[in-house]
Amino acid sequence: MAAPSAAGLGRRLRAWLPRIMPVRWSRYNPSYLEPEVKKESYQKPLEELTEEERQQMELKAVRPIKAAPPTLSSSVFSDPMISKFTNMMMKSGNKVLARSLMSQTLEAIKRKQLEKYHKAPENEKETIECNPYVIFHQALKNCQPIIGLSNITKGGKTYQVPIPLTDNRKRFLAMKWLITECRENKHRRTMMPEKLSQELLLAFNNEGPVIKKKHVLHKMAEANRAYAHFRWW
Amino acid sequence: QLDRGCALHTAARGGLSFVSTQDVPAERPRAVFHTSESDPAKHTEQHEGRLYNIPLEEVKAVFPHGLPYRFQQQIQTFNEARVMVRRPALELLAYLKGSNLAHPAVRYVIYGERGTGKTMTLCHVVHYCSRQGWLVLHIPDAHLWVKNCKELLQSSYNKDRLDQPLQASAWLKNFKTSNERFLREIKTQKKYMWGKRESTEEGRPLGEVVEQGLARVRSASDAVGVVLREVKQQSQRGSFRLLVAVDGVNALWGRTTLRKEDKSPVSPEELTLVHNLRKMLRNDW
Repeated sequence: MAAPSAAGLGRRLRAWLPRIMPVRWSRYNPSYLEPEVKKESYQKPLEELTEEERQQMELKAVRPIKAAPPTLSSSVFSDPMISKFTNMMMKSGNKVLARSLMSQTLEAIKRKQLEKYHKAPENEKETIECNPYVIFHQALKNCQPIIGLSNITKGGKTYQVPIPLTDNRKRFLAMKWLITECRENKHRRTMMPEKLSQELLLAFNNEGPVIKKKHVLHKMAEANRAYAHFRWW
Repeated sequence: QLDRGCALHTAARGGLSFVSTQDVPAERPRAVFHTSESDPAKHTEQHEGRLYNIPLEEVKAVFPHGLPYRFQQQIQTFNEARVMVRRPALELLAYLKGSNLAHPAVRYVIYGERGTGKTMTLCHVVHYCSRQGWLVLHIPDAHLWVKNCKELLQSSYNKDRLDQPLQASAWLKNFKTSNERFLREIKTQKKYMWGKRESTEEGRPLGEVVEQGLARVRSASDAVGVVLREVKQQSQRGSFRLLVAVDGVNALWGRTTLRKEDKSPVSPEELTLVHNLRKMLRNDW
């Protein structure tokens, strides 16, 4: 980010310097606004906008806007969950490889489901889900734990205390479990798309090792119910 | 999605003009790209760019070893084999339809960049020829004969040459499935000795030579040579028409990655399979 001097704003913002020079936080002046990527929001006619939206539009006319990150896209094919998953699969910054693995996984899921579809009898054909994105989202949802455990030290001893999880944490845990399961517990020579597609299909049907791990976590939390009052937040 | 819609628009316009000759594609928009004409002999420029269906039993009979791997995956996924009719294939079919049997065989080369459909064109032509009743000698990939061979035997027929039993027996097995009818009809014209004890008499059907090659894997390459020679001699008499289709022909004249036991590189002439195949590709029949 350039030297902190925003153009044409209030005097106190013009000479803004952060108290601590951040290395990994955002170095933007707080006056910068987030970019709006959705096409639908620009196609609405003026009359339909509410008061807040009109004020927001007027603000955008004067304030500078942050640069859009390369992962943010207005395409119909982009999916934030898939992007997050790809980032988690990425090793040493090789986004090209991670993205190709992701697309091969989705292709593998589609092929397996299509084979099942063609072999199934007529009445069952409608129940088979062929859309790989739907399968991916449902599988992730099935893998998300509801309650988590955290280590709290009280009186010298550490207890595993059940705590509620935020949405982000749940999503992160589901994706992390899927990826570690595929990387560690499979045969060395199987390709990642093959392993991942198999795991996603199992998770979609509520079977498989990741769902088992989630149930184990839930059982541990249930078993440690007595320590729930150790939590103070 | 936008592009697919545009292509549909233009294809549908072209499709509606000859709705009378083909069956009207029903509500499914993808059926516009299909054609019901599954006989390659009747494919014309009208059918260019359309996908025609090959029934799965025919696929197993005609192409035991010819199709590329990705196409086989597609067959498994969609439960049907659809090949697109393209202009080079139509050109080649026209040449074959008008070819004169009395003249020596014409050699056609299908060339192009990677991924442009050379193998699929070849498979289209092979399908046409097998439908017309020709004898088809289809070598799926000449590169497989010239690299990564685990076993190399010294040939008993000719001391300088090297045999490849595995590749030869695999090819003989596939040749048997694709050309059952001809193996019974064609008779050998010479007596062949396989080693000291086994021999095939004159006038026995070619199927016996193939069985011999499959049973005694050591002499499989020689069996392939015999098959090629018999077929070449007898096609000149005119009882059947012969098509030799080789995929990856450049491998027959390039370098091999194989080495002899004293680590000296093997040139393609020293392999029996390649030597016999090169004789087939000459213009003298």
